[in-house]
Amino acid sequence: MSETRKVDLAWLLLVLLSVAGAGLGGRADAGLGVAVMVAVVMAVKLRLVCDHFLELRSAHQRIRLAVYAFAYGMPLLVVLTSAFGDTLARLTGALIP
Amino acid sequence: MWVGIFCELTEFALLFAVYFIARAHNPDAFEAGPGRLSLAAGTGYTLMLLTSGWCVARALHAMRAGRKPACLRWLLAGFVFGLGYPLIKILELRWNFSHGLDSDAGVFVVTYYYLTFTHLVHVFWGLLGMLWVMARTAGGAYTVAEHGGLEAFACYWHATDILWLMIFPLFYVLR
Repeated sequence: MSETRKVDLAWLLLVLLSVAGAGLGGRADAGLGVAVMVAVVMAVKLRLVCDHFLELRSAHQRIRLAVYAFAYGMPLLVVLTSAFGDTLARLTGALIP
Repeated sequence: MWVGIFCELTEFALLFAVYFIARAHNPDAFEAGPGRLSLAAGTGYTLMLLTSGWCVARALHAMRAGRKPACLRWLLAGFVFGLGYPLIKILELRWNFSHGLDSDAGVFVVTYYYLTFTHLVHVFWGLLGMLWVMARTAGGAYTVAEHGGLEAFACYWHATDILWLMIFPLFYVLR
């Protein structure tokens, strides 16, 4: 498959995932399960942009790892904050007046 | 180029830290928050930015293939879709204010304005950058062998995409 075709497919997949992700927003319920689904969709979309738009696979290894760490760190934080929000609030209590 | 992009990511990392701490301290406000915003606007921004990013990626492929007119057309399309972002922002702000979502509307809304306006500024820089690379492409400044400026712009624009793909679920989806 040509690189151009891969970019086209990545865009199509990103659009479909965005619409599906918006569907999650229409759900009235909250909780860890929804947070995990949101995080997974976010991670897949970020990986698609990193690999096919940003062409990170051809970047220097340190740059690639730093951007991947940021891209995977955010979905992880979504899940951790959802699961351990009380702990985070306790740890950061001194920051809030 | 990467120094600038990492500065941008660091700036947003700090803003995301504010989001997560605010969320941890105000779980009820953040659980109810997405229901107060326009999901259609949030989805609209996402589709506009993703499509603009795709056009810019295709422009880069066209330049590498030596097809400069096609490159310019893809950049123009990317600019038009990119303009969709501030246009939706105007409509969304009208909708927000008509629904009482101003700076007194609570911690969720303030955090939302704080992050999304910062992102809007970065989109504006990107749109100006896109006009610049379009002018340079039209003027014949880039070649198949040397188009580093176009690549640098594309990286910035995709990094702005990446940041939006994080902001969108945090404010419009996650309860």
